[in-house]
Amino acid sequence: MKNNIIILGGGQAGIYAAREIRKNDSESNIKILGEENLLPYERPPLSKDFLLDKKNEEDLYFHSSHVLKNENIDFENISINKVDFENKKLVAKNDNVYSYDILLISTGSENKKLSLDNNLNNDIYYLRNLEEAKIIKEIVANKNKNKITIIGGGFIGLEIASSLSQLQKKVTVIEIGNQLMGRIIPKQIADLVQNTHIEQGNEIILNKQIDKITKKNGIYEILLNDNSLIETDFVIAGIGSNPSVKLFENTNLKLDNGIVTNQFCETSIKDVYAAGDVSNFYHPLYERYMRLESYQHAQNHGICAGKNIAGVKTEYTSIPWMWSDQFNLNLQLTGICDDYDEIIERGNEINNGVIYFFLKDKIIRGACGLGIAGKIGRDIRITSKLTEKNTIVDKQILSDQNQKLNKLIQK
Amino acid sequence: MSEENWIEVGSTDSIEEEDLIRFDHQDKTFCVYRLADGFYATDGICTHEAVHLEDGLVMDDEIECPMHQGIFNIKSGEALSPPACEDLKTYPVKVDNDKIFIKID
Ligand SMILES: Cc1cc2nc3c(=O)[nH]c(=O)nc-3n(C[C@H](O)[C@H](O)[C@H](O)COP(=O)(O)OP(=O)(O)OC[C@H]3O[C@@H](n4cnc5c(N)ncnc54)[C@H](O)[C@@H]3O)c2cc1C
Ligand code: FES
Repeated sequence: MKNNIIILGGGQAGIYAAREIRKNDSESNIKILGEENLLPYERPPLSKDFLLDKKNEEDLYFHSSHVLKNENIDFENISINKVDFENKKLVAKNDNVYSYDILLISTGSENKKLSLDNNLNNDIYYLRNLEEAKIIKEIVANKNKNKITIIGGGFIGLEIASSLSQLQKKVTVIEIGNQLMGRIIPKQIADLVQNTHIEQGNEIILNKQIDKITKKNGIYEILLNDNSLIETDFVIAGIGSNPSVKLFENTNLKLDNGIVTNQFCETSIKDVYAAGDVSNFYHPLYERYMRLESYQHAQNHGICAGKNIAGVKTEYTSIPWMWSDQFNLNLQLTGICDDYDEIIERGNEINNGVIYFFLKDKIIRGACGLGIAGKIGRDIRITSKLTEKNTIVDKQILSDQNQKLNKLIQK
Repeated sequence: MSEENWIEVGSTDSIEEEDLIRFDHQDKTFCVYRLADGFYATDGICTHEAVHLEDGLVMDDEIECPMHQGIFNIKSGEALSPPACEDLKTYPVKVDNDKIFIKID
């Protein structure tokens, strides 16, 4: 059957879904509506290689316009600001109306913003898209912007801190919690990352809140809750993100920390699907809902939504996985690390890599590893496979770095 | 084909099946693999970023980069999964008297 399929949000999940639909359905019209005037691109380099000038804009696109044209996938640069699920219509800012038979929502997530009680809100910079990355890059290219403060010690804030330090900037990171990267990362690993930042010259301030930011002669003064004062030339905030769901707030679409979807990417409304950062999806293996903001998930979830939209009923069972690169360190997280009854440590020094496995009822539920470049990658990947297969593992092998984990995979 | 270009990597039993070893020659790094049907060789560094594939996972005919899970076909070098999008260079391999040789151009 020939359908009008609309993909709202032209990011990673959207493009993977579009191509997967086309693989399985040569007839339907596929249209991506994206508010960024750019073809879908990769975000991970924005905080890393793009700031460092190791990658430029052209390197970020998933596919050229040629590929989209060949596959008869339409991309339109438009921002949608109203959705009428009952009549299956989307309305754009310029009042254009788009009718759909099937809708995929892949609007991603948006940065949480600080709310300052003076008129400095526009002086704080955030990083989510290429435009913002370009602005930050341009500002830090100015030699007078030397002292930079980053509010928030999460992945994106720390990646920016790492990049700016490599650009010889004097960086201070202020984190409200008592460790970096939130409680999901084992404290030992957070501390190793923190040590590297400090060794490289970054200042890390934990357990502190911002009381006030003022601006004098172009210099910002950040007052912390212990009355200490930080002077800085430029402020960037990375304080987390929210799913982009404002558009749906007064509709029937079921929302709860994002758009609630089942294991087939279906939402509470018929013919409406959601994928990527915006979706709080049911994971059959973990028997719970989760929302992930990761590259691998946006890709795989997009593909799964594409299959289901094209009528190939497919459960989403992908094991969560994400990475963060800071200086020469590569951190990886797989599965879930917040539901366990036992922790096993593999390795204890950074050169050979360190991994913490989280087990429940003797089965690995997740793992978090840190190493130079990809040192822990193979073991983390094997862990994902063991988790997927619910394998009961020999703990002695897990904790002994001299024994290869390959042995644990059942053929 | 001149004989000099075949470089000895080591003995066949130095690689377990479905595994790889890193082989450095002059200033280049290679990966030599043992798959079910024989030996193969590729560049040793991922085409996405400068990361050694020796720490990656060999599965079926694929090598998965340990850094961001980019995947390459070992036999053809084809980049199969992003973020890797540039193919990996492959090299001919021969086995002679239980010794593995790769041909570097
Ligand atoms: C700086 C940065 C670094 C990252 N680094 C890593 C990393 O190292 N490793 C990792 O695993 N993950 C990383 N991520 C996360 C990863 O990039 C995201 O999880 C992924 O991009 C999510 O894909 P998505 O398609 O759900 O959303 P997005 O890629 O965000 O796409 C959503 C798109 O929808 C558009 N949109 C929203 N509302 C509307 C509307 N009303 N009308 C039209 N268009 C709309 C948005 O403008 C956007 O283009 C990073 C993210 C960022 C921002
Ligand atoms: S370095 Fe190999 S996939 Fe990124």
